[in-house]
Amino acid sequence: MAEITTQQPVLLASDHITHLFPMPNGNMMTVLEDVSMDIRKGEIICIIGPSGCGKSTFLRILAGLIRPSRGKVLSRGKEMTGLTPGVAMVFQMFALFPWMTVSENIQSVLTAQRLPENEARRRVNSVIKMVGLEGFEEAYPREISGGMKQRVGIARALAVQPELLFMDEPFSAIDALTAESLRADVVDIWEEAEGQPASILMVSHDIKEVVYMADRIVIFSANPGRIRAVVPNNLPRPRDYRGADFLAMVDYLHDIITTNELPDVPPSVVSAPSQPVYEPLPPASSSDVVSFVEYLDSHGGQGDVFVLAHEFGKEFSELINIVKAAEMLGFIETPKQRTILTPLGKRFANMDTEEQKIVWKQQILTLNVFKTLYADVQASRNATMLDDEVQERLAQLLPNENPEFTFATLINWARFGNLLAFDEDSDEVTLQ
Amino acid sequence: MAQEEEELVKTSPRGSPARRKRPAVPVWGESSAVIALYHSGVLADIAITLGILGFFYGLTQVSQEWTGILRPTVVIDLSLRSLPRYTFFSLIRGLAAYGVSLGFTIVYGYWAAKDRLAEKLLIPILDILQSIPVLGFMPGLVLALVSLFPASNTGLELACIVMIFTGQAWNMTFSFYNSLKSVPQYLQEAGTVYHFGWWQRLTQIEMPYSAVSLIWNSMMSMAGGWFFLMVTETFQLGSRDFRLPGIGSYMSVAVDSGDTKAMIGAVVAMILMIVALDQLLWHPLVVWAQKFRIEDTTQEEAMESSFLDLLRHSHILRGVGVIGASMLRTFRKSAVQAPPLSGAKGADNAASSDSAEHAQKHPVAGILISRLAFVLLAAGLVVALLQVVRLLASVSGAEWVHLVQSDLLTLARVTAALLLGTAWAVPLGIRIGLSPRLSRIMQPVVQVAASFPAPMLFPAVILILTSLNITIGVGSIVLMLLGTQWYILFNVIAGAQAIPSDLKEAAANYHFAPHQRFWSLYVPAVFPYLVTGWVTAAGGAWNASIVAETVTFRGSTLTARGIGAVISNAAFSARFGELSGAILIMALTVVLINRFVWRPLYTLASTRYNLSK
Repeated sequence: MAEITTQQPVLLASDHITHLFPMPNGNMMTVLEDVSMDIRKGEIICIIGPSGCGKSTFLRILAGLIRPSRGKVLSRGKEMTGLTPGVAMVFQMFALFPWMTVSENIQSVLTAQRLPENEARRRVNSVIKMVGLEGFEEAYPREISGGMKQRVGIARALAVQPELLFMDEPFSAIDALTAESLRADVVDIWEEAEGQPASILMVSHDIKEVVYMADRIVIFSANPGRIRAVVPNNLPRPRDYRGADFLAMVDYLHDIITTNELPDVPPSVVSAPSQPVYEPLPPASSSDVVSFVEYLDSHGGQGDVFVLAHEFGKEFSELINIVKAAEMLGFIETPKQRTILTPLGKRFANMDTEEQKIVWKQQILTLNVFKTLYADVQASRNATMLDDEVQERLAQLLPNENPEFTFATLINWARFGNLLAFDEDSDEVTLQ
Repeated sequence: MAQEEEELVKTSPRGSPARRKRPAVPVWGESSAVIALYHSGVLADIAITLGILGFFYGLTQVSQEWTGILRPTVVIDLSLRSLPRYTFFSLIRGLAAYGVSLGFTIVYGYWAAKDRLAEKLLIPILDILQSIPVLGFMPGLVLALVSLFPASNTGLELACIVMIFTGQAWNMTFSFYNSLKSVPQYLQEAGTVYHFGWWQRLTQIEMPYSAVSLIWNSMMSMAGGWFFLMVTETFQLGSRDFRLPGIGSYMSVAVDSGDTKAMIGAVVAMILMIVALDQLLWHPLVVWAQKFRIEDTTQEEAMESSFLDLLRHSHILRGVGVIGASMLRTFRKSAVQAPPLSGAKGADNAASSDSAEHAQKHPVAGILISRLAFVLLAAGLVVALLQVVRLLASVSGAEWVHLVQSDLLTLARVTAALLLGTAWAVPLGIRIGLSPRLSRIMQPVVQVAASFPAPMLFPAVILILTSLNITIGVGSIVLMLLGTQWYILFNVIAGAQAIPSDLKEAAANYHFAPHQRFWSLYVPAVFPYLVTGWVTAAGGAWNASIVAETVTFRGSTLTARGIGAVISNAAFSARFGELSGAILIMALTVVLINRFVWRPLYTLASTRYNLSK
């Protein structure tokens, strides 16, 4: 079915969708910006991107669960306001009803469709067979493994004979081996499904998974969520995780994503050269940044981000934040998808903790956020600011960021650098 | 055996009750006829048949009592023989009140959770209702209902039930509302994406999700309802003496006439009733509700209820279940085959319409009903407010000063009672909670003690206090303590049971001395539970002040100065102005303490002392 694409009719499309999310302080955060794409009949589309790029929100907008702030959802060209017809969804955390057995869980969605009971029972049996759940009909979700639970989730979705199957990181809560066989099963079911479902839209953060499943890969970037690239994937099925073509495709995607996430020229500097730029703080802890720099030093001073993520025992999306933080502080450079220790980083890695703290303090004070807030605290009465006041200030400086998260990172970094202290009981931020 | 049985029950299909797989060769000890009968379900059927017959006989008695002509004073027979009948009357009142509470809870909680506009009014109202002591409702209610049914006891019975209801409902409603608001987003989304109508959403997602906490709160509320039984079954209003036959009135008459045998008999009957309710109703419900737990883990300790097993083995109930299921099927079938009505024709149809356009919006009819009810409620509130203001206007400045002084005195007593309760319940509760053996024995005992209406024990305590020359001013602290300390103990036990074993091991490994263990591990670890215990106990103590600050004992009335005594006296002498003033002051105090003491403590408990973070 790989040759489909442009001739096939468009089942569902998003037309210039922008979504804003109100933050606790009243500001609006842009989650998605001007996202337009379409889903054609007979294809599997995967959306991939770092956490916080709004990909799950986008899926929910297409399903009609969330109304977008701007833009339209078009189902076969018709603008939708409520739930999108013909969509069934598989959830990351399964969303099974724990008080119903496997077959009752599937039955419940057919009851909602007002299917006559005989027909419903027939349908339940047939999807249970389809996903390989025979023998588990009367088990409760808590009695079965994660992989089995997601089979129920898939069976429940197939039971309503959807035209479109939406999957929200469906395999991320399942162990790797089980996930692999489930992916193959989903592709098999789709190939034999005769239009039910005709197309699959899946959200994922796993590059291999995406290359295995997708006919088209949509790459999102974060802050705000935008489509960076759409990559057609014409590898013949069944696909082999170790095939040369497969690995080449994985590398290709790696390249695109790292150039997006770790641009050689920081985008903020380009956008506003005249006035001070406030850098969003990536949510990485000081201890992670320090151990990453030390790890890099003891492993030859450089490495590939994806290989490092694996070695360092972190999710790729988590490591990206650590790498960004280390780069902001001048400890590493990131040409392409490599990370290289700077001379400062090399010295830093070999210091004792006391010296590291001194250098850390110097380096965070090169960032405008820290400079401004340090000055603010100094200038305030008794050199003390309240938690809320600092967050309010952060919301002004970084209107697109969640001030609560930024505050947590700010305090974490400032504490390590002996710059600022924070007393949780009194909510006071003071000079160290 | 228990473990295996539990699994069988779990894996057996719902609807057709579990049939235990019996081993082919009888196990030793199973040869006794009783056990064989039990397993075949015959005994279960006999027990259930007898139970149903007995219950219906009791109900005929109740209905005679209800329709009987209104008597100026009911003569209570103090012989022990009549005690079962009185106990049954009280039980029926409690259960009827519970039924009303449950209905109220579901309607009110659902309304508050679903309509954002109504929520803004409903939740504060509930908060206020919760802080009004039961006795505050009494005079108006009784007079109104008695005048509605001048010829029979119905009005009085209804008044009694409504008063028990006011002791039960608010807590349950809050619990249900909170559950509805906290249904996990993924379950809600699953319901939406698969086009669940409001009814399917309620019965298949929201009710099951709320079940566990609703049942726990029901147990608590039922206990709360018993607290004022002695007052609600026998009270004077001005010169009129209202009395209903029941265990509460039996006790008060026994106290008045100093009949020790009857008093002991009443206490025993009350305990038996509480234990029976626990074993036959609550415990089976709790076990049954295990399947509604949301955590995905299989629980460590299988819960069991032998009464639930008995029910599960009954042929009769199985038969009823089969008939019920087939009736439901026919009903559903006809519902499916019925031609779809257009949205305008019925609220139900508009609500469950699976057209995509409507799925995310509220059904039009639902909104109309909600708005109409909202307007009526707001109007009623304005009228009530005007009435209260008129009543309050009659209270003089000097009286207000007196009320505030009394309130502060009671506040001091409540604080003292909490401190005393904490002082003994925390060490003991930790001791019990840390030992699995002690917990197993003590937990049910504490639960019964907590459900037991403390005022029934007041006479005995007063006797001891007077012999020690302790005045009622101080003695009422002990009386308050009697009812509320159990909440502290109960929660501390639960907290101590939940202390993670790695922390206990660390304390042992680093040789913490006992006092260090107590202060740096046990107390911080049980703190969140302790706060819950305090909040419940404080609420109970305020409520108890009404009966603890003025006690009738052997014909004489002992009265301490305090807001509880003021409320009590004002209610019985029908001085409505003073009553509303006193209630206003007390409710204000309770609300202020909630806001400035308990809420910060809750925050502290859920941040610093949260073990799950």
